[in-house]
Amino acid sequence: MEKKKKENIFRKLLRWTVRGLMGQKYEEKWFGKRERKEVVYKNGVPDDSELIVSPGRQIFNRFMERKFAVLSVVVVLIMFAVVFIMPHFMTKYYDAFTETTQKDLPPTMSLMKVPKELKNNIKMIDSYGSFSVGLSNDGKVYIWGIGKLGATGLNVMDIPEEVKNAKIAYVAAGQDHVIAIGEDGKFYGWGSNRFGQFEATEAVLANPNLEPVPEIVRNGELDVSHIKKVAAGFQASAILMDDGTLYIWGNKQAYANLDSFIGRTNILDIDFTLNNVVGLDSRQSSVVTGKKGLYDMVRTKIYGSKAVKMKEFLNGRKILEIRATTINVCLLLDDGTVALTGDFQYDNVEVPDLAAGEYFVDIEAGAYHYSGLTNLGHVYSFGGDHYYQAEAPVVNGAKKLYAGAFQSYAVDGEGKLLNNWGLKGYLFGTDDRGANIAERVVAGGRITMTVGAIAVIIEIIIGVSIGLMAGFLGGWVDIFLMRVAEVFSSIPLYPFMLILSSLLAQVSMTTDQRLYMIMVILGVLGWPGFAYITRAQVLVARESEYVTAAQAMGVKETRIAFKHILPNIISVILVNMTLSFAASMQTETSLSFLGFGVNYPQPSWGNMLSRASNATAAINFWWQWVFTSAILIFTTICINTIGDTLRDVMDPKSTNDK
Amino acid sequence: MGRYIAKRLLYMIFVFFLLTFILFMLYQLMPANRAYTDAHNEVQTMKNLSEEERATKFEELYLRYKRLYGTDTDNKLVLYLRWLGLYPYYNGEFNGIFEGNFGFSYDYNLPVVKVVPSHMRNSFLIGVITEIAVLGVTIPLGIKCAVKKNSRFDRFTQFFTLIGFSTPSFIIYIVFIVFFCSILHLFPVSGMKTPGSTYTGWRNAVDVLWHVTLPTICLTFGSLASITRICRASMIDALSLDCIRTARAKGLTEKTVIYSHAWRNALVPMVSIIIGGFFGTISGAMILETMFGFKGMGLLFLNATRTADYDMIMFLEVIYTFLGLFSNLVIDLTYGIVDPRVRISK
Repeated sequence: MEKKKKENIFRKLLRWTVRGLMGQKYEEKWFGKRERKEVVYKNGVPDDSELIVSPGRQIFNRFMERKFAVLSVVVVLIMFAVVFIMPHFMTKYYDAFTETTQKDLPPTMSLMKVPKELKNNIKMIDSYGSFSVGLSNDGKVYIWGIGKLGATGLNVMDIPEEVKNAKIAYVAAGQDHVIAIGEDGKFYGWGSNRFGQFEATEAVLANPNLEPVPEIVRNGELDVSHIKKVAAGFQASAILMDDGTLYIWGNKQAYANLDSFIGRTNILDIDFTLNNVVGLDSRQSSVVTGKKGLYDMVRTKIYGSKAVKMKEFLNGRKILEIRATTINVCLLLDDGTVALTGDFQYDNVEVPDLAAGEYFVDIEAGAYHYSGLTNLGHVYSFGGDHYYQAEAPVVNGAKKLYAGAFQSYAVDGEGKLLNNWGLKGYLFGTDDRGANIAERVVAGGRITMTVGAIAVIIEIIIGVSIGLMAGFLGGWVDIFLMRVAEVFSSIPLYPFMLILSSLLAQVSMTTDQRLYMIMVILGVLGWPGFAYITRAQVLVARESEYVTAAQAMGVKETRIAFKHILPNIISVILVNMTLSFAASMQTETSLSFLGFGVNYPQPSWGNMLSRASNATAAINFWWQWVFTSAILIFTTICINTIGDTLRDVMDPKSTNDK
Repeated sequence: MGRYIAKRLLYMIFVFFLLTFILFMLYQLMPANRAYTDAHNEVQTMKNLSEEERATKFEELYLRYKRLYGTDTDNKLVLYLRWLGLYPYYNGEFNGIFEGNFGFSYDYNLPVVKVVPSHMRNSFLIGVITEIAVLGVTIPLGIKCAVKKNSRFDRFTQFFTLIGFSTPSFIIYIVFIVFFCSILHLFPVSGMKTPGSTYTGWRNAVDVLWHVTLPTICLTFGSLASITRICRASMIDALSLDCIRTARAKGLTEKTVIYSHAWRNALVPMVSIIIGGFFGTISGAMILETMFGFKGMGLLFLNATRTADYDMIMFLEVIYTFLGLFSNLVIDLTYGIVDPRVRISK
């Protein structure tokens, strides 16, 4: 006779998956017919006259009938999975990340979305921070990305009418301004003019810290056919002519070495880092900064090579191009290799090793990354990779390459966009430090949920054991323990938490220790609720027959308490655990919101909302609180639903049919 | 009855001492030394002193201030008793909270007893209005939901109370501020009166009212959901009692059954909510007051913790503790009135 194998848990799971995905037919084909006890349901409750169902099973069945509750369980499980598993995939995420050029951006996916009209007709592209400006072959200007500049009300996407009507020859994007030069040499600019970016107003002329736009540029007397390069930086801009004449203007406080470039006539290339203007003079043998020794140590690789002095390194070779990111500079040499100078932050992609016969013909720089074009029409990216902007796809036949901010665009000879790569945008926008809110929601959820869960576990451990002792031992132990519980429950939570928080702020603590402290305080102040419930349940259970029987058999008291009574009251504890979990999460978020719980840089669903207490910020930067609070509310609703439903289905008095 | 109250009072006093002792010991951990700071500041103001003279002068002043503030001992128990006013200072005088000396607020440069009352009045004012509004809405709503359990109306209400209950109060406040202040421009965002205004009489009253309306609405909405749920749950429990069946069997009208029989029973669990709520108003609503810049007890406490105004913190903690214990006593006594089955003569 064939012995029926007992199904183990894995086989069962597999069987359920098959049933769920492929239907009962396949399940029966592969796993055999299930032995089924036919359960007769009457009004949704198993009919006891036919079959006796264990209480646990009955509760489970009744729970499964509540669709909303089952959905809530699924949602909460997914939420848990997301917040605890996702952080392992967010390899580039870290708590204290800041990026000034990306702060306060609304949810968007348009940062790299080249307008359709421009796609086959690109003349040039330049980006800075959150927006990109493109120029088509027929002289039309397009802007994409986020052009709204904080709460200033300015929007660089509002292209002036005269620019729309004119035929533009060059455009360049600065941090908060755009400059353009028409085919007829006319100079245009829009965006912020606080630092004289494009207009020489009286205030600009009167301010000694600002260099106004040179008169020749303002009057439109430039010979467009001789312009070599138009560049814009943080709050400054430059126009370079092919005879080496440089026109440069902007905020001298942002660029301290701007003065040393005014009136130069021997410049071959110019670019802006965040704090320095860097140029290449006709000697082609050093990076001109006006400061001695800056950008003088050169290396070929980001990590893998030693830095040597510029003169020694070049050894007769000449620099053709210089391109600058925020802090470092890349040099293109006349032998087609690249060299780097300056510091590199975290998270870089190494300079690629090119195949034999392949060499760089052009280098473009973004905010942290570089993209290079080779003689074979391939593109490579290297440098800062926080937004995956230095991971270039395979491109063939590229003739031109544009890079800016966190994006790169490869274009063919006719101006057709071949491929673009880099930062697309942000699902939930960015916060006031430029961090991606979607990532912080996940990381914050992990902290909020952990704090809630650990606090509840502490509450349960203390509360249930004290409740058990008080209820089971009775007498003076009961009185004493209940008085202690009363003292704890009369401690006002918020004032106490605040006082502890400010007290412990004097002690230097790591952020993790602070987190543990919050969990422990929440747990230690919250246990009396569990103690009362457990005690009340134990008092009832003590009188029941099974306890009397156990006592008569001489079972030890502690064994009765933990082995006989506890399993019988676990359901009530379970209900309270769920509700208390939601409550702990709410307390933590409220405390963090006030600034007394989890503190920056650690994210929590509470402290991520603290900026919204300012009414102006709340309306201007709505995405900074709407998504986070929606997720927080949704999670708590689901947890509370589970708790409510559990309580309902466990209560023998309540029935489904009213 | 009298004996019960006496027993409870004794217990209350015990717990009061226990809690204040714990808090005082926490407070002692603060790295603040008033005597040192004062002596140091005073020496700094003196001129034409050599280093040695300065040092001796400092020692002298430091000791004098320590004796003045009663910190001339390291014995924590003595410090605690001095703070309470049960142990004499160096000059033999008792000067603690039992003598009415609650401390001095460095932030306001006033004795704390002078600062607190106006804040307490503000909190109490807004709290009582809120409490009345909340009970006025939630009790009828809860009763109606319980009576028509599982009806469409009930489900609808349940759905919204679930959302409200699951929403941390500060998010409700944010939504209200955005909606009423930033979009509709109906109310001012914060403060107690128009800045720089010198209104008097009627104009002043209207101005204050205009500023206080939104916080009151917010506070009301913040606690609607949870109290409706509690009211509904206790009413459902009450309606399933045997006495209700009996009352119906007697042929009483449904109105009488609900409002005089069931409600009386449902009131028992509600008592602690209602009375606790009224006492809670005095403690202030910390988050709300912070967000609106409303000068109440909560904001006072929060600012005191931020500026490390320790005497103020201690005084407010004493008030909070006292209020908590006193409201517990009142709740227990009220149980006896509401529920005749609870005998408190024991």
